[in-house]
Amino acid sequence: MSDATYLYAVARDALPECPAGVADLPVRTIGREGLVAYVSTVPLEQFGEQALRRSLEDMDWLAETARAHHRVVDAVAAATPTAPVRLVTVYDDDGHVRDLLDRRGDDFLRVLARVSGRREWGVKAYADPAAGVGPGPGASGDGNGESCPGPSASGGGGAGRPGTAYLQRRRASLRGREQVRRQVLQRADHIHRALSELAAASYRHRAQDPRLSGRHDWMLLNGAYLVDEGRDAEFAEQAAALGGDGVEIRVTGPWAPYSFTVMEMG
Amino acid sequence: MSQTERPAWRVAADPDTVERDLTRLVLTLVELVRQLVERQSVRRMEQGDLTDEQIEALGVALMRLEEGMDDLCDHFGLRPQDLNLDLGPLGTLLPSND
Repeated sequence: MSDATYLYAVARDALPECPAGVADLPVRTIGREGLVAYVSTVPLEQFGEQALRRSLEDMDWLAETARAHHRVVDAVAAATPTAPVRLVTVYDDDGHVRDLLDRRGDDFLRVLARVSGRREWGVKAYADPAAGVGPGPGASGDGNGESCPGPSASGGGGAGRPGTAYLQRRRASLRGREQVRRQVLQRADHIHRALSELAAASYRHRAQDPRLSGRHDWMLLNGAYLVDEGRDAEFAEQAAALGGDGVEIRVTGPWAPYSFTVMEMG
Repeated sequence: MSQTERPAWRVAADPDTVERDLTRLVLTLVELVRQLVERQSVRRMEQGDLTDEQIEALGVALMRLEEGMDDLCDHFGLRPQDLNLDLGPLGTLLPSND
């Protein structure tokens, strides 16, 4: 009982060969009822619960393991429709993986049918926090034209009332910030809707903290789109066309369909 | 430990810097409260439930506080963005301009 089974992905077909997996271990397959699980036998002293609790805090170990995991998933996904499994999914033994395929076989088949002939693209939109963001090319009127000054905004504030003038300046600047925020959110919704129309499925991830990406720009959209292979070019064109007017669009991919195959494993 | 991008909420217990870090923490909290009061004042002014005299008095008080904060920042060699707080989904306390 010193080994466990590390699961990378589930697909319908077995690949003739596969790159090395986590910790440079060989990858093999477990077949069951038209499904194939890609797994490695891993030592418990590295992948047991205790060891993982420590290792997951180790950024180098995590980066290395993530690279190996994605290398296997990408190789499989390039050849056949694939449902990737979350990083570091470890089962007690092969029997538990077979059991999983038996119990959740229909779910896997449904997921695989959904991603067949499709690939995932990531689209991130950034705005420069200092510059303004317009409604974007082709957007209809921005709707929030309410710029009416509130009570006593224009009247007082003369030289004799510096406190009132100060509060009114603050009010204008707070309003300005709020308006920029609203405009940016509207713009992000608009981009997401336009891209979702071209995609078979879409998912909006949480925008990343600027400190993680090392960028100062404000990320307003972090979307994932499952796109038919034949529509790749159309999608890329549309994504590029949605940029401009203060917004920069970054398209990444194609990826294995990570965002569209997450199943809670029992 | 890099000195460049230390988050505002981390205090390094280094005798050389602890005074400055603690000062920064305290000033950040004061600035947070000041901003909250300012926003509340603006909101009440907009709702019209303050008299002109109250608005003027509040404005003067907040303005003096801001000047006081500027002086303190100067004195301790802090920049306004050193007092910024990341409020998560609400964004940052002060408009980030770096």
